[in-house]
Amino acid sequence: MIEFFHVSKAYNGRPALQDVSLTIEKGEFVFLTGASGAGKTTLLRLIFRGDAPDEGQILVNNLNLLHVKKSAVPFLRRTMGFVFQDFRLLPKKTVFENVALALKVSGVPEGVLRVKTTETLGAVGLGHKLHALPLTLSAGEQQRVCLARAIVNDPQILLADEPTGNLDAELSGEILDLMKAVNARGTTVLLATHNRDLLHRLRRRVVRLEQGRVVEDGCPEA
Amino acid sequence: MSRGLTRFRYLLGEAVDNVRVNRTTAFLALATTTFTMLGMGVFLLLYLNVQDALGSLREEIKVIVYLRDATSPKEIAQLQGELSGDPAVAAVEFVSREQALATFRAQFPSEERLLNGLGDNPFPASLVVKVGPAYRSSEQVGALVQSLRARAEAEEVLYSQDWIENLAVAVRYLRVLGVGIGVVLAASMVTILANTIKLTLYARREEIAILKLIGATTGFIKMPFVLEGALLGGVGALCSLFLLRVLFGLAESKLALKGTFWGVGHGLAFLPDRVTVAFLLLGVMLGCLGSMVSLVQFRDARG
Repeated sequence: MIEFFHVSKAYNGRPALQDVSLTIEKGEFVFLTGASGAGKTTLLRLIFRGDAPDEGQILVNNLNLLHVKKSAVPFLRRTMGFVFQDFRLLPKKTVFENVALALKVSGVPEGVLRVKTTETLGAVGLGHKLHALPLTLSAGEQQRVCLARAIVNDPQILLADEPTGNLDAELSGEILDLMKAVNARGTTVLLATHNRDLLHRLRRRVVRLEQGRVVEDGCPEA
Repeated sequence: MSRGLTRFRYLLGEAVDNVRVNRTTAFLALATTTFTMLGMGVFLLLYLNVQDALGSLREEIKVIVYLRDATSPKEIAQLQGELSGDPAVAAVEFVSREQALATFRAQFPSEERLLNGLGDNPFPASLVVKVGPAYRSSEQVGALVQSLRARAEAEEVLYSQDWIENLAVAVRYLRVLGVGIGVVLAASMVTILANTIKLTLYARREEIAILKLIGATTGFIKMPFVLEGALLGGVGALCSLFLLRVLFGLAESKLALKGTFWGVGHGLAFLPDRVTVAFLLLGVMLGCLGSMVSLVQFRDARG
């Protein structure tokens, strides 16, 4: 599903990723971990074509990202969902509108859009907050809106960048459970975190980065 | 509801939201657009009316052939016949010496005493030649006058074209000046709208980043801003037309311009319907252009 072949990327001469080779299979749940500045966000950005690598090749769904035209990038991104530490919700739009936007950009008909958005918000436990504005919600609820927006279009890949960074342990557990459920539906999940608690809660494959290099890749022993 | 219509409704809603987000700036842009387009409208109105007046005056182009006293009625009839057959001539009217005298007396009754020392009837007979619509250029009228002057029957040939041509030259200058001023006003309107939309773009840059992440195409991202420009330009044009109509009404009533204008048989006219529609479209187009300028400069809006 996602393959990195000797990928390197530098910003202003400072290496962010160095010779990274990695394969993530369809339906896998992978933790991407490492200290701040280890290259986690860069790796995610390369997958959704937020940046292009300086060296190496990246294949997503057998599609070589180096050969994806700029005009095709939006269509690539529609196969993915994104969750961020800072939620990135539109403050002047309701919860429903924030989530529906992901379908609207794909031109999903209004009727389908209404049903899918309502269902998805129900699935993340926010069926009663459809018309609320994001800033009136708690951090945990905002992150659930963000997750709902990421999965409403049934993405093949879910990319999460420090999704629990602003949440306490209990709320982090809730978000992780929701992501587990998304993964159980067949979505490949790549979760970047430096929260070790999450790794202990869910024993899945861990890829650890250090100064832009993969220094550990495997499933922790129980 | 069709997919396209749903999407358009959403994008239009976003454009209205854009205006709402930058309410003060949008209002200032709208006011500037209104007055800029009002300036263009005033020039357009002036130009079209002068042009119209010129057209009416051109219709009146006449060449008067004063005939020698010795010309016989037969020769006059023959000349009149020849001229009637000339494609450059729309109509020929014979004015006898008696008719000329009667016309003078009717037009200038107080100048009767002038005639006393000039014998019975000092006026010559004449042929009034009305020039055909397709033959009203300086060269064509000049050629006709030359051919008439060469006729033995003609004592003198007079025509009213010179000052009309001078007016035509003035109208041409007015057009060049109008186009020049129009271009400057349009450029300033585009610049103002571009800057307004740039402010909206900055205000919504976070939103643009999110839209790009969730797979919005460049067209989807840019369209609300183009519509915002079109909306500001269109509404500005509409407001300017309203003000122009009010000013026009005031000018008509206060300056008593109804009736005749520069001696032409009709009063001032407001912009014709098709020009009004074109004027509105111009506002919309300049608004779109302003948006596009800002979008080209704003890198973050690109896909």
